[in-house]
Amino acid sequence: MENKSPLSPHIQIYRWHISSLVSISHRITGIINIIAITLICIWASMLILGDSSYSIINLFFNSLLGKLFAIGLAWSFSFQILSEIRHLIMDMGYGFELKTTRITGIAVIFGSVALTILIYLIGKNFI
Amino acid sequence: MVQINLPKNSEVIKGKYYQDKTGSKNIRKVNVYRWDPSTEENPRIDTYEVDMDNCPSKVLDILNKIKNEIDPTLAYRRSCAHGVCGSCAMNMGGKNGLACTTPHAEIDGDIDIYPLPHLKVKRDLIGDLDGLYKQYQSIEPWLKNNSTKDTNEIFQSKEERAKLDGAYECIMCACCSTSCPSYWWNGDKYLGPAVLLQAYRWIVDSRDEERKARLKKVADELKLYRCHTILNCTSACPKGLNPAKAIAEIKKMIAVANV
Repeated sequence: MENKSPLSPHIQIYRWHISSLVSISHRITGIINIIAITLICIWASMLILGDSSYSIINLFFNSLLGKLFAIGLAWSFSFQILSEIRHLIMDMGYGFELKTTRITGIAVIFGSVALTILIYLIGKNFI
Repeated sequence: MVQINLPKNSEVIKGKYYQDKTGSKNIRKVNVYRWDPSTEENPRIDTYEVDMDNCPSKVLDILNKIKNEIDPTLAYRRSCAHGVCGSCAMNMGGKNGLACTTPHAEIDGDIDIYPLPHLKVKRDLIGDLDGLYKQYQSIEPWLKNNSTKDTNEIFQSKEERAKLDGAYECIMCACCSTSCPSYWWNGDKYLGPAVLLQAYRWIVDSRDEERKARLKKVADELKLYRCHTILNCTSACPKGLNPAKAIAEIKKMIAVANV
């Protein structure tokens, strides 16, 4: 009888809050960054293959998709850096009060967007 | 293992609808998770229209009202109704808490009531907490002191006693552990916030002489380090305790204790 007991709903019903969102985003951006770094390495080694392979990359990053890809990566790296700093502070035992976690969580989210814009502007030689 | 979808026999279907019979103008819809072990059916969500003009302020009052006036077959645990016993822990409006201390006014829209997440359901809102109790037993939650004198008390300074504040108040309602995604995916190995808070309570107790052995016991990749500071536990605790901070403190102690 015990075996046919159903499992109560979990992630389907549990409400999200700032800390859980930042935590899961931290993991997702972590995975994206690993893939991104691998791609960047492949890109760099493709330079050795000469002119034609470089032009493929050039074409991609000048297309709209490529630009969105680059901006997305800038955000993913920004988020990971800020969120990691938040986690490091927590590992030292600080910032566990609910109010503080909310503030630092929001700071990570808005900070990552601000950092992305900053990287974009630097990349565009505006700053 | 991460398992996002529910198993086939756990998928929730739409259940019965109980229309209001009092003719009240102040009605709220209450969606309650139901499962009857005597049938082969899947769990279902029954919807009750509850007259809020004659209902006290807490979610437990709604459940009592449903059980007394609408549907006596509803099963849930409750005892003290004052946030002390921890029996009525459940998931209300997407968040774990004690039904007896959660005001229904704080929940917007229809009131969704589920059992504590990711447990084997025994019936309706009653989840099986055996696994958690076994883990609690595994940390040996009692004072270990080799003092041979059984007439003298073991002294503790005010400062030493203050270290237990925020840990000893835990009522083991399991709101925190069952809110934790890490505990959902690895509940067989990861001890979870409730048990780790209790482990911390005995580690920092100045009268306990087994501190090092206790630290060694929890210093394990899966038992302790599955905490990724998601902080669902701290936000769920109905007693306002902070299991996430206790886990961080254990990690810190292990880092410097060289166990």
